Amino acid sequence: MAGYFREVAKRIFAQEFRESNLTFKDGDDQYAPQYLLTPTAAKVNRMFIVGTLTEKEDIGTDSEYWRGRVSDPTGSFLVYAGQYQPEAAQILVECETPAFVAIVGKQSTYTTAEGDVLTSVRPESIQVVDGNTRDLWVLDTAKQTLDRINSLKDDENDTVKAVEHYDTDAEHYRVMVKQALESLKENQ
Amino acid sequence: MKETAKQIKDKFFELGVDIPIGDIEERLDKLVTKFKVPMDEARRSVINYFLKEHNMDRSDYFAGQGEQQPQGESPQMNTADILEADRWVSLRGKIVQLWDNTHESISQVGLIGDETGTIKFTKWQNAELPDVEEGKCYQFMNVMSKEWNGRINIDLNKNSSIEDLDEDIDIDVQGPSTESPQVNTADITEADRWVSLRGKIVQLWDNDHESISQVGLIGDESGTIKFTNWQSAELPDVEEGKCYLFSNVVSNEWNDKIQINLNKNSSIEEIDEDIEVGNSSVTFTGALVDIQSGSGLIKRCPECNRALTKGACTEHGKVEGLYDLRIKAIMDDGIVTQEALLNRELTEQVGEMTLDDAIAMAADALDQAVVLDLIKKKLVGKYYTVTGPKLDRYILVDSIEQESQVDIALVDDLLTEVEVA
Repeated sequence: MAGYFREVAKRIFAQEFRESNLTFKDGDDQYAPQYLLTPTAAKVNRMFIVGTLTEKEDIGTDSEYWRGRVSDPTGSFLVYAGQYQPEAAQILVECETPAFVAIVGKQSTYTTAEGDVLTSVRPESIQVVDGNTRDLWVLDTAKQTLDRINSLKDDENDTVKAVEHYDTDAEHYRVMVKQALESLKENQ
Repeated sequence: MKETAKQIKDKFFELGVDIPIGDIEERLDKLVTKFKVPMDEARRSVINYFLKEHNMDRSDYFAGQGEQQPQGESPQMNTADILEADRWVSLRGKIVQLWDNTHESISQVGLIGDETGTIKFTKWQNAELPDVEEGKCYQFMNVMSKEWNGRINIDLNKNSSIEDLDEDIDIDVQGPSTESPQVNTADITEADRWVSLRGKIVQLWDNDHESISQVGLIGDESGTIKFTNWQSAELPDVEEGKCYLFSNVVSNEWNDKIQINLNKNSSIEEIDEDIEVGNSSVTFTGALVDIQSGSGLIKRCPECNRALTKGACTEHGKVEGLYDLRIKAIMDDGIVTQEALLNRELTEQVGEMTLDDAIAMAADALDQAVVLDLIKKKLVGKYYTVTGPKLDRYILVDSIEQESQVDIALVDDLLTEVEVA
C-alpha cells in the first residue's frame, strides 16, 4: 500500500480536455480517484489551468451554483462551483469578467442522454492572477502536451489505452500546441 | 440487504467474532433507509463499526480473505526462512528489541532474533497475548507472516501463542558481532542495515517522546540523514556542531525515508576533526497550487518553538504563544508535487507584509485566518522557483522567486520542435 499521495495537477489545453471522454478508476474501491485519460494520454484527476474567465453565471435553483467559462488559446473550460466549493464560488461571485484566473481543481465528467461525455472542472481554488502567469501556463502546458505527443508511440499502458480509444492523431494535437505557442508570440 | 448482512456476519464469524445478524441488519437498515446512505457505503460503515466494536484492525477483515485460520500446527521455521507473506509459521527466538509503538491497537512491536537473523514482529492488542521482554527467549506458535513495504514481518494474532523458553538463543543480528561497514550518509539507502558512519551533528530537534533520548540530523560530505538515539540505548548525548563516529547503527524506513537508529549495540565516539557537511540543496520550479493549514500567522510554544494547535503545545500544554509567520506550500510542476516550507523572513518577503502587519491585520479582523487568506490570494496559482535543502517531504526554502516573463527563446525552440516532427 502506497499510502496517501497528492494527485499531481496535470496541464492540458481546453481543446484536448473537451475532446476527452475516457474515464476510469484505479481499483475497485469506491474511494479510488477517478481519472480522465486524454487523447495524448494525460491521466488527469487534478488539473491546473490558467486562462481568462469570460463569463460567469449563477445557474443554481435552490442554492447558488456558479458556472464560469475560462478560455485558453485553444478553447474553453467549463468550471462549476457550488456550496461545496465555497472559496472558489466566492471568487466567482466577486470576480469581474474578463479576468485572468488560475484554477486548481478536479476534472469532472457528465454523460448526456445522447451518450456524449461533457468535461468540466470542479475547482478547489480560483485566484485572480496576472497575464504573465497566464503566458507561463500556456508555455508550460504546450511543453507538457508536446512531451506527451512525442511519447504516443511508447508501449506504456495508459498511452496504449489512449491511442486505442481515441485513435489519436498526433498531427491534430501538434497543430493545437503550435497555435497556443504562436499566440504567445503575438502578445509581444 | 439481508444478503449483505449475511456476508458481513459470515466474515466476522470466520475471524472468530459472532455478531447477531439482527444487530447487523438493524444498523444497515438505519443507514440505508433512514439516512439514505448507498448500500456500498452502508456496508463499509457497518463493517467499520463492528471492527471498532471488537477492537479489530481493518487489515484483519480485508487481508487474506478467508485463510485466517491456521491448518493445524504451523511449521517451525527460522527467521531467515520466512520469506513469504501470509503464511502461518512458528518460531523460537529472542526478543532483540522492543520498539515504542504509537498505535493503540498494537500491544508490542520489536525484533525477534534467532541464529539465522532477525525479523520484525507486531503483537496486536486484540491478540490478548502476554507481554514479552527484551532479552528473553520465547517459542511463538501460529504467527502469521506479513509483507509491509516490501519486507516480511510477523503478526501475533488471536490464533497465536507465546511460551517462555528456558534457554538462551544466540542471535545473528547481521553485524554487531563484527564491526559494521563504515558508509557515507548518501549510501544509506536501504532499511535494516547495520552501518557505521562519521558525521557532524547538523541539528538536534525537539523530541516529543520520552523513550527517545535525542533526535536530529547528522551530516557528512555526502548529505544528511535523520538519527534517533533511543533512551534504551543508554548512549551519551551528542552536541550540535560536533563530529562523531556512530558505530553499529541500524537503518530503518519511515514514511518512505531512510533514517538511522542508535540502539544498545551502537556506540558513539566524539572525533577530533571538522566534517564539511554536503549541501544537498535542490531547486524546484512549478505552480504553487495550495497552501496547507498551519500556514500564515501562527503561534509557537515559547519553550520548544513548536507550532501551537488551538493555543496548546503538544508537549507543554496551554502556553502563551509567540507569533510567527510561515508558509507550508505545495508546488506542482505537472509531473510531481513538492512541499516547500517558508520561514518568517521569506513569508514576509513574498506576502509583502511584516509580522507586525500580520498581527495588526488579525487583530482588526479578530481572526488569524485573514492573514492566510491574503497569502493565498497573493501566491496560489502562480509560478515560483524555490531553492533550499530538502528534508523529508519538504524543501526548507532559502530563496523563492516568482517566475518572470515567458522565455521567448523557449517558445521558439518548442515551435521548431512542433514543426519538424
